[in-house]
Amino acid sequence: MAPPPASTASAPFASLAAARESLYGVAETVGKMGLIAHQIGVRFARLDFDGEELKRNMYKMGVKSLPIVVVTALFTGAIMVVQAAPIVQRYGAQQLLGWGAGFGTLREIGPLLTALMISGRVGANNTAELGTMTVTEQVDALRALAIDPIAFLVVPRFIAMVATLFLSTLYADALALFGAAYAGQFLLGVEAATFYNGLTSGLLGIGDVANGLVKSVIFGGAMGLSSCHFGLAVTGGAPGVGRAVNATVVTSAACIFVVDYFVSFLLE
Amino acid sequence: MIQIQRLSKSFGHPVLHDVTLSIPTGCLYGLIGPGASGKSVLLKMITALMRPDTGSVVVDGQNVQAMTELELASFRLKFGMLFQNNALFDAMTVAENVAFPLHRLFDLDEAEIRRRVEERLAAVSLAGFAERTPVGLSGGQKKRVGVARATVTRAPIIFYDEPAAGLDPVTSQKIFDLLRAEQQRAKTTVIMVSSDIERLLTVTDRVGMMYRGSLVFDGTTDEALTSTDPYVKQFVHGLAEGPL
Repeated sequence: MAPPPASTASAPFASLAAARESLYGVAETVGKMGLIAHQIGVRFARLDFDGEELKRNMYKMGVKSLPIVVVTALFTGAIMVVQAAPIVQRYGAQQLLGWGAGFGTLREIGPLLTALMISGRVGANNTAELGTMTVTEQVDALRALAIDPIAFLVVPRFIAMVATLFLSTLYADALALFGAAYAGQFLLGVEAATFYNGLTSGLLGIGDVANGLVKSVIFGGAMGLSSCHFGLAVTGGAPGVGRAVNATVVTSAACIFVVDYFVSFLLE
Repeated sequence: MIQIQRLSKSFGHPVLHDVTLSIPTGCLYGLIGPGASGKSVLLKMITALMRPDTGSVVVDGQNVQAMTELELASFRLKFGMLFQNNALFDAMTVAENVAFPLHRLFDLDEAEIRRRVEERLAAVSLAGFAERTPVGLSGGQKKRVGVARATVTRAPIIFYDEPAAGLDPVTSQKIFDLLRAEQQRAKTTVIMVSSDIERLLTVTDRVGMMYRGSLVFDGTTDEALTSTDPYVKQFVHGLAEGPL
């Protein structure tokens, strides 16, 4: 006799239970990230963090990320022009090319793509480093040596990440516009002066630049919290570090898009 | 004096169960027991790196569990600790690892810090290794760097978690002799966890044995060596037959 089919009545409940578990997991992660944010805030307010670690991380996260920011930004600007080229040519809207590239780049694409690139490089690296320190008891060693790991490890990394993303976005914005102007001249024959006039004709304001920069700071904060949280929460040796890096990349990217949506609404 | 009262801890399953123990000042206390019997967890409870579910730890009259994280930060200046995996900071050199607590916690000038670091490295026979990084050291050398870092602050209470793990017999004996000499020189209280029972018992004043999260023996080294308790006898003498 054939075995009876698996209970169909319990399947929806199993799905509900799994959904509930996932929801609890998300709530737990958000709660723990909130606690880390509080701990960072308290130490930051007391200026209780390690200056040398901050400098080391600024160099490691900021300066070492420059090549990837340069490449991403230049091609992002060029891609904006490539996508706009058919419309610009059809309607003869060469004067608006600077505005179009600037609007998209400064408000959205510049901060977003820079955040995603920095998240992949810096956020993942930060989690791997903190995770390895956790599983090899280096974090416990700091506490045993009467040194606060939040002040020594987490706050400098958090500040460095926020500052890196802010400065990289500023730099990426400028480079993306340069890339767009160059692509406009090369692909559409739009002179640099025409591109510049479109960019500064009054359709774009300082608010558009500020919009993107505010986003970059918030993205940096989200990335810093998630990478530090997952790094310090590692359990289970080397496989645990791998899982934490994976979780950081996924969570940071999801946070960046969710936060982008809400910040775009708020800053409208 | 370290006083542990009815300490229990569970991670889903119990890892410490109702442990009560007193360790007098200036004693070199050996903590022994099979793997996963709760020895390292007990050390982390005493230094408040972990919090117990129930029970208390009182060190020199101060209740560790009653302290906030900020109070613990200054309280932990009493302790030096060698971790099972050494826990050396990979990004720093040997000298920086040893100097690290001095730089962070004490108001000492550079010359004094350098002098203390050189003295500690010489004491563990690593005088020429100051500028090497931990990655390039052997297991025994890493242990000795860990010992140098654990003792550099001249803390009155020092914990050594498996100080001879993975070392050859000669190096192990040298490490134990070194730790005993250090303890007698500085009159520190030492708790030493080790699986190398034979060598450990050559240096201890008192011994405690953990088994499945409980303290099943607490007495002098001679009492441990002559104990007729079947668990202690089997473990101390490394017998194949017995209840373990």
